[in-house]
Amino acid sequence: MKSLSERSFYEILEVPRSATPEEVQRAYERARALFGPGSLASYSLLAPDEAEVLHLRIEEARSVLLDPQARVAYDERLPAEGEWKGRPAAPFQPAKTPVAPGAQFLGTPWPAIPGADFHPPEGTPWTGDLIRQAREARGLSILQVSERTKVQRSHIANVEAERFDQLPPAVYLRGIVLSIACALRLDDQRVARSYMERAAGARAPAKGR
Amino acid sequence: MAELPQLRLVVPPTADGSATRRSSATRRGTRPGRIVSVGGGKGGVGKSLVAASLGIELARRGCRVVLVDCDLGGANLHTSLGIDPPRRTLSEFVNHRVERIEEVFVPTGIRNLSLVSGALDHLDAASPSHGQKMRLIRHLQSMETDFAILDLAAGTQKNTLDFFLLADHKVLVLAPEHSAVENAHRFVKAAFWRRLRAASSIFGLAHLLDECLDGGRFRGPTEVLEAIQGADEEAGRQLREQMAAFRPGLVVNQVRTPEDVELGLGVAAAWRRHFGIDMDVLGAVEYDDDVWRAARERRPLLLARSESRAARSLVRIASVIRELDAMAETGR
Repeated sequence: MKSLSERSFYEILEVPRSATPEEVQRAYERARALFGPGSLASYSLLAPDEAEVLHLRIEEARSVLLDPQARVAYDERLPAEGEWKGRPAAPFQPAKTPVAPGAQFLGTPWPAIPGADFHPPEGTPWTGDLIRQAREARGLSILQVSERTKVQRSHIANVEAERFDQLPPAVYLRGIVLSIACALRLDDQRVARSYMERAAGARAPAKGR
Repeated sequence: MAELPQLRLVVPPTADGSATRRSSATRRGTRPGRIVSVGGGKGGVGKSLVAASLGIELARRGCRVVLVDCDLGGANLHTSLGIDPPRRTLSEFVNHRVERIEEVFVPTGIRNLSLVSGALDHLDAASPSHGQKMRLIRHLQSMETDFAILDLAAGTQKNTLDFFLLADHKVLVLAPEHSAVENAHRFVKAAFWRRLRAASSIFGLAHLLDECLDGGRFRGPTEVLEAIQGADEEAGRQLREQMAAFRPGLVVNQVRTPEDVELGLGVAAAWRRHFGIDMDVLGAVEYDDDVWRAARERRPLLLARSESRAARSLVRIASVIRELDAMAETGR
């Protein structure tokens, strides 16, 4: 199974590319019932941070696929269906066709995010500053990322400024970083791993370990 | 309570989109009977009720059935069957006091149905050594019966997982409550990893698995299998074939509402969508006061209250298991 950030919106909702808006809406409702908060069937199936990212992706899938303009732009960027299916996991693949700089967030497709040329060299540690650069390269404000991820603005600012003492404990922080990275179309797992290593290193002396 | 809708057998398509099930028919040359394991992680969800009822119903249909109490530390299947604690138990076999497992079969008073009772006395039998367990597994696999039904202990202990995994039908019992669902998810994850680890070590790929574990987080099988196939294509292909047989069958017990009935479908859908693991939904058993009435009378539900709603649900689940066997026989 592909990681969440690698699955297309169609795969997230399990609808074909040709799905009508009604089919998308029904699929969204099914996905929400299955994976949304309060679902008994998927209770404890996913780690809390993963569940949070999945909720976000389901919401985004709906908002993009039900917005005709956004959907066209999104489809243009998606590889052909055959290529997409079974494609090996490709880490850090930012948008290939940057369009519509300054696009608004909710209801706007991911492909419309600019900043495709933001490629930190392989192995570069994901510092708060690098996350900020990635955000700015995509033309997004902290407020826009906050609206999209439902993560508080102060948390995003603190992540970027690496004010670890003002950030929540590691288990929550990891979820926050995953959400931000996902919203910026970064390889969320890699960014979180790298960032959490830094956070652990910075926090350890403070705790006297 | 209004009549609850009943589910039909649900056989989700396999990962490649076909509806073909693995065929176990090829193994029947060496395997006289079928093994059904009944597990679920949480205690009290009705594993023994399901195991005993399946045993009784299959025996009534003329199959030779043996019920095996694999809850080595807390055996009580004899109580579910309404018989006194047998003198001959599994511990005699485990401790080599008898040669063949058939020697500890005890009659249940039900035609075609025998019981292998769990250890009642010897505490050491609760955790058999690896050698003892492997001998038990060999004998379970070669018994002269049509069905061996293994009633498993609660929890995710390694022995429990191994008994679950060796079965042709891996029945997972859960109840519509958060703790039971949580334990069921945990049980499936633990069983899947144990199966994958065993299969991987055969191909010398165990080290790759550890790398894929990602700090203890359960990652999807497709992801892991792809990583292994990338390292060794042939081994990856064989591993894929092995893992396709990991296909639990869900039974939701104590359902009270139509939403409860649908829980099995939801759990199966969640696993397929998020981890790419297929499950069958074998059915739901209605919450029914007749279950505890029968238990109080110390009589099996299917004999004491055969017309109760719960009993009828359990009979249907036996039919589904027969149906799955027929599908495996014909290779679809």
